[in-house]
Amino acid sequence: MVAAGNVDQQGPANGDPISEEEALRRLRLTDDPSAQYYAAWWLGRNRSTHPDTVPLLILALRQRCPRDPGAGVEANAVARNAARALGRLGAPARAAIDDLLATLEDDDHGLREVAARALGDLRAEAAVEPLRRRLASGPAVAGAQEPGTPRLVEPCEALLEALGEIGVANAAVLAVIEPFVQHERPLIRSAACRALLQLTAEERWGHQLVTLLQHPQLQVRRAALMDLGAAGWRPALDPIAATLAENSLKLIALRGLAESRTAAVPVASTEAVLQAMDALL
Amino acid sequence: MTAPSPVPLPSVPSSASAVAGLIEAVQRADTALTLLQATQALAAAAHPQAAACLVDVLGFNNPGAAVAAVDGLIAIGEPAVATILANIDGTNYGARAWAVRALAGIGDVRGLEVLEEALAHDIGPSVRRAAARGLGQLRLEALERSQRECVVGRCLQALVQGCGDDEWVVRYAVVVGLEFLAPQLQEQLERQQLLAALRGLEADSGQEASVVQLRAALALRRVGAAPEGCPHG
Repeated sequence: MVAAGNVDQQGPANGDPISEEEALRRLRLTDDPSAQYYAAWWLGRNRSTHPDTVPLLILALRQRCPRDPGAGVEANAVARNAARALGRLGAPARAAIDDLLATLEDDDHGLREVAARALGDLRAEAAVEPLRRRLASGPAVAGAQEPGTPRLVEPCEALLEALGEIGVANAAVLAVIEPFVQHERPLIRSAACRALLQLTAEERWGHQLVTLLQHPQLQVRRAALMDLGAAGWRPALDPIAATLAENSLKLIALRGLAESRTAAVPVASTEAVLQAMDALL
Repeated sequence: MTAPSPVPLPSVPSSASAVAGLIEAVQRADTALTLLQATQALAAAAHPQAAACLVDVLGFNNPGAAVAAVDGLIAIGEPAVATILANIDGTNYGARAWAVRALAGIGDVRGLEVLEEALAHDIGPSVRRAAARGLGQLRLEALERSQRECVVGRCLQALVQGCGDDEWVVRYAVVVGLEFLAPQLQEQLERQQLLAALRGLEADSGQEASVVQLRAALALRRVGAAPEGCPHG
């Protein structure tokens, strides 16, 4: 996954400290996308529980339109931040699931990506079938590089991760995810292994992620760290601690292990995980 | 609880000329990889004369080499402190962050002010995190009693303030710092303050980082705190 290295998910660097009331006011400024952009991010980051928050974020999500690359802070940037914020808000944002499902069908690749992630964050079971459908054409079609861009045809990483987060492990879902374990891009392989590890708890997927911790590219090692953390796979404790990457990322991954409740066989005790974290501070 | 692991002293000090050669290799390095390797070699010597050169490496924007340089400075220990403090670069954020980590690792009391300042105000969570751990790990054995109490009190206050940090990883490090600091506390009042801080983080209400709660519960067990509700600490 890319979260840790994705600058776009950070707040705008010049963001000033504002109140919740001010954030809500700015989110209503439909003629000022940059004010809305910051407000949407702020409300997610601060996990706003105000009754106006979710309805306003849904309206911001509906502001999306066909992309106009020349338009500066374009409206879809606001919609993207609104989707991310909804994902962060958890249960109260489930009212937005229908709108997020509609966004998952948008022509804008970036919007489909954030919608998938938000639906995963919200554990939206209604999203399983549409997510599966978008991946069903497999690595050769959905996972092919889009001509003229570095992107794949579908935001595969986000779609795979969302299926893993939502946690519906039926045969049709598993059959669609598995071929992506062979994808030419290691980040996609990592996302597929993560989803399969979450859905099946089969060790072989964890071992493949551990192998990626040795990948020559730092970006891949980072992704595998985040994916093992998200899956909370405790057998990875020692390999994570020994990975050549920033301690900050290793701490995030180990946090996932410490908080994991799915460890059927606790190969590493919680105390052992905490001890490894202490050594990285 | 276990004491912070002691800084290993260089068993056989390298000769001055050997160190000079290693320093020259660092200064000559012209790729990221050769800089990393030369820094690792210099750090392994753990010789006081290497300190100034290792401090320079902190400012080179080469994270791998900086990690090696921090390790080397920690291995040199006390003799490196004055050099680190004299070269803290207020304009180079990255270098400053590494210097805080080195000071935290060495645990010399002369670093106290830098650690306090870093935990309270540094914009980088990784720096605040290192500072919090360092505030629990200052080496106080050589100090006179009154001075020791003063230092311990300042560490405690800085860590108590740090309990409100926005970042879970900093709060986690504050727990570790408090656990390390606990055996140093002589005053009953201070001990109660420390336990209250740990109990607050054990609840960690409003934040969703159960790993902080897990770590705080462990720290409370290790410092031998009575279960919540008992009147004494």
